[in-house]
Amino acid sequence: MDKLLEIKNLKVSFYLDNKTLAAVKGVNLEIANGQALVLAGESGSGKTITALSIAKILPANARVDGGEIIFEGRDILKLDEKSLRKIRGKEIAYIFQEPTAYLNPVYTIGNQITEAIILHQDKNKKEASKETLELLGRVRIQDPERVSLDYPHQLSGGMNQRALIAMALACKPKLLIADEPTTSLDVTIEAEILKLLMELKKELKFSLLFITHNLSIAKKIADKVSIMYKGEIVEEGSCESIFRSPKHSHTKELINAYQKIGKI
Amino acid sequence: MKKNYSLIFGVLIIVILSLIAVFAGLISPYDPSAIDVDNLLMPPSGNHLLGTDGLGRDLASRMIYGARISLSIGLIAVGIATIIGLILGSIAGYYGGFIDTLIMRFVDIMLCFPTFFLILAIVAILEPSIFNIMAIIGITSWMGVARLVRAEILTLKEREFIQASRAIGASNFRIITRHLIPNAIGPVLVSATLGIAGAILLESGLSFLGLGVQPPTPSWGNILIESKSTLGVAWWITVFPGLSILVTILGFNLIGEGLKEKIG
Repeated sequence: MDKLLEIKNLKVSFYLDNKTLAAVKGVNLEIANGQALVLAGESGSGKTITALSIAKILPANARVDGGEIIFEGRDILKLDEKSLRKIRGKEIAYIFQEPTAYLNPVYTIGNQITEAIILHQDKNKKEASKETLELLGRVRIQDPERVSLDYPHQLSGGMNQRALIAMALACKPKLLIADEPTTSLDVTIEAEILKLLMELKKELKFSLLFITHNLSIAKKIADKVSIMYKGEIVEEGSCESIFRSPKHSHTKELINAYQKIGKI
Repeated sequence: MKKNYSLIFGVLIIVILSLIAVFAGLISPYDPSAIDVDNLLMPPSGNHLLGTDGLGRDLASRMIYGARISLSIGLIAVGIATIIGLILGSIAGYYGGFIDTLIMRFVDIMLCFPTFFLILAIVAILEPSIFNIMAIIGITSWMGVARLVRAEILTLKEREFIQASRAIGASNFRIITRHLIPNAIGPVLVSATLGIAGAILLESGLSFLGLGVQPPTPSWGNILIESKSTLGVAWWITVFPGLSILVTILGFNLIGEGLKEKIG
């Protein structure tokens, strides 16, 4: 399979007033075209920071110290802000943990999806809002006309996440990075969103980097699983092999945690 | 929901005053500059509702045209101040670091000058035309807005939806103008409304010192100063402009307070 993204020896640190905290300590990752990679690990293990590095949308006090992020042959870390903006949203798109917080409260859902379309495509407002309705239908929203006129606070978390998925897929990105997109949702909605993501992945053929601390999700969607612990990838492999014979102690802990919850 | 009486009364007062200002030509009974030597210092009567001044000009007509001047000075001066404050405050808040320090120290320097005397000095150098007065009040009263906007932007820029808009490839300019400022506009609106009252008062003060709007153009401030010499015999020339300044400022302050209760 063709490589879409290759991260080599990525190092990211937080620069605080009087100290430096290494968050990512030499991570290597590879995602092939059309592949679903699940990056799992506990809170604070550096999963999110790794993901944010990919399109360079790190918080202001975090900096990449070294490594390469090769996306379709180009090193993203060497690109200037203008070329980065062309990649963000168009080639690499994100969805996040708290859907409602990631939508701007003063604009309607439709307005925000239309913005995502206009940013990267040469379309006028009318064409873009027509496409917005199609996108909302695509993420299985029943009544696109009405929902597109709603504000984020009028909708449930699950609906908002669907809207964010529509926004992320507006420009048909090659890589979708989903940072714990179901963590704040309840279990039935979580299952629906996961199902939707996998269906859309099949339709639109994007690669997926899915971040979670919940290994049961990995079982449902992953082609490959990477386990992250304290800023490093400690184990990597197919979903099956990781569940059958976990090597690293942290992988075992994650599996045990999931099985314990299963028993309750 | 509790009725917002201050907002209702404030809006009522200002709407009535604005209508008077806009339709000044239709409703004023006389030409505001027409001198009538037969009717000097006439007390309020059926012919001259609010009496006449020392040159026999109809006070009601002069005050109606004065409303136009006073209100437009208030609106435009505050408009200028708000625009400067929005631009500088949002740049300082968004970019932080050196730019922030530079802008905010400039704000501190501007705040060191007693505004009224700074305006007096500038008006003394330039000529006191209506346009100059609007501009000068505007460029000496933006500092509060800048501080307010900066504080709002500082908290808003850490919000998740700002990261989301970076993730879809929005530029800094777009993030500031489309995502940050609309979310910060509430408190700015409140301070602008209160600012209009301040600007009208400032213009009246300037006119009273003879450095505001120049006769024969009527403004509430310069009608007041002309009344000074005849205060002993013609109370109406002092009382009515004074009252209208009071009512206008009350109106804007009521709107400001009402808005504060509602949005901010």
